[in-house]
Amino acid sequence: MMLQGPGLTDLHAVVDEVWSSFLGHEEPLLPALPDPASAGGITWSAATSVTGAWNGVVTVEIPDAVAHTATERMLGLVAGQALTTEDVADAVGELVNMIGGNVKSLMPGPSVLSLPLVARGTIASPSDLAEVSCLDLTWAGAPLRITVLARRDAPTQAADRSARNSADTRESA
Amino acid sequence: MHALIIDDSRAMRSILRRIVTDLGYETTEAEHGQAALDHLEGGLAPDLCLIDWNMPVMDGYTFVQRVRDDTRWRDVTLMMVTTESEHGQIVRALAAGAHEYVIKPFTPDAIVNKLELLGLLATEVPA
Repeated sequence: MMLQGPGLTDLHAVVDEVWSSFLGHEEPLLPALPDPASAGGITWSAATSVTGAWNGVVTVEIPDAVAHTATERMLGLVAGQALTTEDVADAVGELVNMIGGNVKSLMPGPSVLSLPLVARGTIASPSDLAEVSCLDLTWAGAPLRITVLARRDAPTQAADRSARNSADTRESA
Repeated sequence: MHALIIDDSRAMRSILRRIVTDLGYETTEAEHGQAALDHLEGGLAPDLCLIDWNMPVMDGYTFVQRVRDDTRWRDVTLMMVTTESEHGQIVRALAAGAHEYVIKPFTPDAIVNKLELLGLLATEVPA
């Protein structure tokens, strides 16, 4: 089954618009190769899900330094000013909210966008999701990754299969 | 002029506050629709509400419906500022009584232009 999702060009355009609108034009977003060596630092992850005619999840993963810089700019603070964890989580959540909302607009509707989920670390993806687009970028020399995952089955099909599996489990017990 | 900024994101409220403060507005902030309604019930009389759609407790669409159902607040201008960009949702919000609709991400100019269209620029904006 072919999973539906936005193309990398469209996804890049969405991310670029969000970044330039709220974080400035001084440092451009540049394409990057995935860098396993950069995965060791503290990372912020945020996810928002889309449910409806298209079902999927959009995630943003950024290192601590990018999360702090983004928060300072969105809050209009001077660089280096003290930030709370809640401030950073809020700003990272708003970034994924805007990216997720614009990805939603690229996909068939109607659908509903969830409130963002933010974690310091990595958010594990549900097993019924598969990656359809993954965009690795750098901003001010730091890596960031935006991923779009789509559900393998429509909700009704998944529920039917779950019910069948449940019946099978009971039968084999 | 007074703006009530309704968004669950403190960062987004800060961005909007800076834009409208530069235009001469005083501001009050609410993190969801119910908190905004509480401000109105408490006597706040804003000229403008900037309203996110997706918020906990009470979403922006419900807030618009509640405000438009009450004649006390019929003069308040309601502007949605949201990531929700489906045509059907824009139509729903405008039909419920929102005057304008801005899709995130936006530039300060987008907000200024909408306020100009609505005749809600509090001060002369430098060219």
